Amino acid sequence: MRVWDTSHLLDTIPANRTSSEQAYDSSDSQANLARIRQHFKQLQTRLILGLVLGFLLPNAFLSAHFHFQFTHTLKKSAALNLAAVAESQKNTIDLYLQERVVNLYNLFHSKDFTLEPTQAQMENYLSHLKQFNDGFVDVGFFDTNGIQIGYAGPFPALLGKDYSQEGWYQSLLKENKNYLISDIYQGFRKVPHFTIATRQVLDDRTYVIRATLDPDKLYIFLRIISQGKEVESTLVNRQGQYQVVDPGRRPLSGSSEYVPSFTSPSGVEEIERNNQSLLVAYSWLKETPWALLAIQPATVAQAEMYRSRWVLSISLITIGLVISTIIFFTIRRLVDNARRMAEKGQQLQEMLSHASKLASIGELAAGVAHEINNPLAIIMATSGVIRDMLNPEFDLDHNPEAICKELSVIDTAATRAKGITRKLQEMGKNRIPCSIPCDVNALIEEVVNKLKKVEFKSKHLELVTKYSPDLPNILAESDPLRQVFSNILINASDAITDKGTITIATEMQEGMVCVTIADTGKGIATKDLKNIFNPFFTTKGGGKGTGLGLSIAASIVKYLGGTIKVNSILGTGSSFTVLLPVHEPTKNHKG
Amino acid sequence: MDTLRVLIVDDEDDFRETIVKRLNARKILAEGAASGILALEVLATKDFDVIVLDVKMPGMDGIETLRHIKKLKPEIEVIMLTGHASVEFGLKGMQLGAFDYVMKPAPLNELLDTIGQAYNKKRGIVL
Repeated sequence: MRVWDTSHLLDTIPANRTSSEQAYDSSDSQANLARIRQHFKQLQTRLILGLVLGFLLPNAFLSAHFHFQFTHTLKKSAALNLAAVAESQKNTIDLYLQERVVNLYNLFHSKDFTLEPTQAQMENYLSHLKQFNDGFVDVGFFDTNGIQIGYAGPFPALLGKDYSQEGWYQSLLKENKNYLISDIYQGFRKVPHFTIATRQVLDDRTYVIRATLDPDKLYIFLRIISQGKEVESTLVNRQGQYQVVDPGRRPLSGSSEYVPSFTSPSGVEEIERNNQSLLVAYSWLKETPWALLAIQPATVAQAEMYRSRWVLSISLITIGLVISTIIFFTIRRLVDNARRMAEKGQQLQEMLSHASKLASIGELAAGVAHEINNPLAIIMATSGVIRDMLNPEFDLDHNPEAICKELSVIDTAATRAKGITRKLQEMGKNRIPCSIPCDVNALIEEVVNKLKKVEFKSKHLELVTKYSPDLPNILAESDPLRQVFSNILINASDAITDKGTITIATEMQEGMVCVTIADTGKGIATKDLKNIFNPFFTTKGGGKGTGLGLSIAASIVKYLGGTIKVNSILGTGSSFTVLLPVHEPTKNHKG
Repeated sequence: MDTLRVLIVDDEDDFRETIVKRLNARKILAEGAASGILALEVLATKDFDVIVLDVKMPGMDGIETLRHIKKLKPEIEVIMLTGHASVEFGLKGMQLGAFDYVMKPAPLNELLDTIGQAYNKKRGIVL
């Protein structure tokens, strides 16, 4: 058994029935191309965005993370670096002060030390001290009562002064230290200076030697040790008063707005001054309660970090741009290629479908010509016969009845040609959808009753009907639908030579109305089965069939959105199944 | 025997009978056959000079019938009769040994001419 159906004809049926007329249309083709272009444009945008985001976002996150880490490390290292500078400068200053103390202390142990030094001895002491360091300004010797009994230096008026009430003298005696380094003060001479005092106990009596140092010399020393480090160094006491400063910069005895904490020996802090971020490292001296401050603007301290950050940012942006550009152009090229292929494919498909339409029109034209040529040949031949009859030369029967008989042959042939053209018109008719609910059972019954009067009359046909009672009405045009059943039933009747049965059954099948028309006729040969829906294909000889019946039925069913299936066994019979969709009335009211 | 004997093979009854009638009126012994199979049956018992064979027939078509005729009686000249669409079948028929083809609808004169030429060719071979 072979099954052949018309479902392959449904390929071009769109879901929307109002646009079911399929014809080659250049505006359609333009719309298709525009759709393809739109699609690929979207694809391109999505691909580029996806790739760029997929690449750049994680990259940016990673960069940000490492950047943060890097900044942190660099800041820390800048702070450590500054702290190291402060520590080393503090050690140098400590050493400098210790050396001065030792210079002074050595005076007690010099060969010509006496408890009542002469002026010449004092001058000798001073020149001795200045040999060690040019920071020494003067030197004085104090007796047990705190009276300066010996003095050498630029302020001779200080000789014989009583220092017993001066702060440094009292704290030197009270604190039981061997030496003392004072903060900067003006003292009796009204000039900023600081002093180093040492004491020596001889025979239970305390004697003191004191020397004054020029703070500017200390400043120069400090400047020398901090040279080339981009660090501003200074010394402050616990109250924040400057002990040594660049004289050009700040008034001497001014105060630093930053006072380091006394609780820890050293540290690094970041402070704000004049809207500038400064990094300050401090370190407390061992010899005297002064702190060495190493100050560096944060921009200088972190210059390397800012440079690295800049290089990193620029290279990241550059790499990002380069990769984005590469992604953009690569994807555009790929998508362009794909789009061109798709467009070409679409055009090819349109050309193919157009060509196949043209081909089927050609086939149709050839079929029409052939089918009409046959009756034309009869008409020509018969009119020739009549001419022969009227020609006495041929000695034919030429009485009016004989001529009338030939004329009726002409009529028959002409009617046949007319029938073909009319059916062709029906096939090509532009259908306007005007669906009404149709009761398929009633419709078939109507067709059968009509056929019984003429087509079924000459044969002994047994008609068996199995109508399903609960069949829903379908929305369709009743006339074309009638024609579908009529054409199939006429074929069924023609397939039966003299005696046979035609069975008509209706039922619901998977939401479709299913009409089966089976006959016990001669059946359809396998090689013919694939042609039965083609226009002008017929196996009925003698001009009885036009080959259009099933072709028309198929085109109507296709138009209604259904299919026709055929089962046939040669010599046993054929069965045609028409499947029609039930369109909901509500849907149709809208359309 | 000088009378030309022609067999018309065509499933169109009106056409076949009319042509037979007209040929007979022109003193040609013409007979009709409604299909290829009937034609072969007639050929089994009778001899013809020329056969006019329609290409498109239900059952055995003209080309098939031509093959059988050429197997059975190769000396008989065959003229293919074709509708417009089947020129290629006419040509194919000639490749298979047909004498010529005539397009439907053709005036009787044209058909008579072709039959005459075919008859002459056949007599030429026989003589």
